[in-house]
Amino acid sequence: MKIAIFYGTETGNAEMLADDIATELEDQHEATVANLADTAPDDLKAAELNVIVCSSYDDGDFPASAKPFVEKVQAEKPDLAGVRFAIFGLGDSEYADTYGFGSMKVAELLVAHGAEALGERPVHDAAGDDLPEDLAQPWLEEIIAGLDA
Amino acid sequence: MSAKIAIVGGGPSGCYTAQALLKQAPDLEVDVIDAQPVPYGLVRYGVAADHQGTKGVARQFARVFTRQKAHFLGNLRVGQDISMDELRSAYDAVVLAAGLSGDRPLGIPGDDLPGVIGSGALTRALYEHPDAQTLPELGEAPVVIGTGNVSIDILRLLAKTPEELKGSDLGPVPTAWLAAQKIRRITVVGRSPAGAAKFSPVMVKELGELSQADLRLWGAGDGAGEALQAAVAASSGPLPIEFRFENRPVALEEVDGALRLTVETPQGPEEITATSVISAIGFVGDGALDRPALLDEVNAGAGRLYATGWFRNGSVGAIPQCREEGQRLAKQILAEVEPDPARPGRAIFADRKDVVDFDHWQHLDALELAAATEQRCRQKIHLREELLRPANLQDA
Repeated sequence: MKIAIFYGTETGNAEMLADDIATELEDQHEATVANLADTAPDDLKAAELNVIVCSSYDDGDFPASAKPFVEKVQAEKPDLAGVRFAIFGLGDSEYADTYGFGSMKVAELLVAHGAEALGERPVHDAAGDDLPEDLAQPWLEEIIAGLDA
Repeated sequence: MSAKIAIVGGGPSGCYTAQALLKQAPDLEVDVIDAQPVPYGLVRYGVAADHQGTKGVARQFARVFTRQKAHFLGNLRVGQDISMDELRSAYDAVVLAAGLSGDRPLGIPGDDLPGVIGSGALTRALYEHPDAQTLPELGEAPVVIGTGNVSIDILRLLAKTPEELKGSDLGPVPTAWLAAQKIRRITVVGRSPAGAAKFSPVMVKELGELSQADLRLWGAGDGAGEALQAAVAASSGPLPIEFRFENRPVALEEVDGALRLTVETPQGPEEITATSVISAIGFVGDGALDRPALLDEVNAGAGRLYATGWFRNGSVGAIPQCREEGQRLAKQILAEVEPDPARPGRAIFADRKDVVDFDHWQHLDALELAAATEQRCRQKIHLREELLRPANLQDA
């Protein structure tokens, strides 16, 4: 399956997870990785599945590299009907009020423009003990299995 | 032919620069040199013990050494163990990412009195830096000068209950020290108006949520941002923390065993009695390297010398800026570097038995994590001799 992975990052942790996910997928799928900063809304129409890894920054804000993409979607108002995406958040539960807001806001934005969200939106807690890839891999396997079925 | 690049300083600026260099040119020989026996600089010794999420970038940095094959050369102080000139002749390019480890002095009469401590010295002691001094007694009424994020970190740690420190990596000695402090009130003094204070709103919000804190504004607190006003309104604990904006410190004196801080306010001079004074107004070089002369050379653009992070910019910018600047700098270096195979690179350190590598850090890291408790996610090894020769290294 053609899977496009995008990351929205501030400190590089989301990029690292996106790279890990691509490495995990590459045996069985055709996976690409791109920074959301370099992504146009229409780029989401190329693959059968889009996987977005996105952190939060400061007071529940979008991370720096997601901002240009968000602004393009808001300005261009693209019709994303037919686009399927799964989104994985990175957050820090020390900031409980806005935990995982960056990924939540990206998901809401895409859905508002007609895209279809697949699966849950897990948020990895940077203040916790789990490794993000240990949460992301089974989550994505399940989503892919659902599409193959 | 691959170029040899030395990065002086294994903190976030140095590690992000190494990451970006090796991402763009995986065959480079990149050596990250640090004066301490452990990597990560302020991620380990500056990011607060209770901000473990922020320290998560260390996982990326570890990969710079384990996967991207940068070399870590720890316990090697440039300017002391090796001169800048020796280093520069051994490498095709040298990046200065040594940060700023000195506390900027208040620059007022009495700023060197006993009872006055810099935020860097205090946080090094709190976070168990190998060069730390002993933790000082703060007394009932400490005054913190400065309204940046370092100041807020210190206020938060001083105000937290033991329960609120759960999950941090604050060590047993600093934990006992915090518990023994008998602080009744804290005063925060800043020159700038409330609206111009450098702290981030989210840090102030976090401070206002602590069970013990009672944030207050001196005077009208004109121009205080939404976050600070909300934190003042929301906090009602037993520990008053009063922010005095537009209060410019002008002198410190010792009076009857306490410190008296004179501040210039819009209404004229006022005096504040303090049992201790913590200055948190930024950082300067510690003098180990001749920073002004080196930066002149960096700016002249010759001499295969580069600088990044706080060493270059002064103590402004947080972790995301280190990454951005490291990525820009890596592009510049790769465009300019001219490898010369006659330069030996890390071979010049072959005879130095006291230099430690990244494997050494991985052993220490495993030992520290294995010593985690219900309350603490890690127990740092803090004495230099133990960091160099941990007693149970063989068991790790």
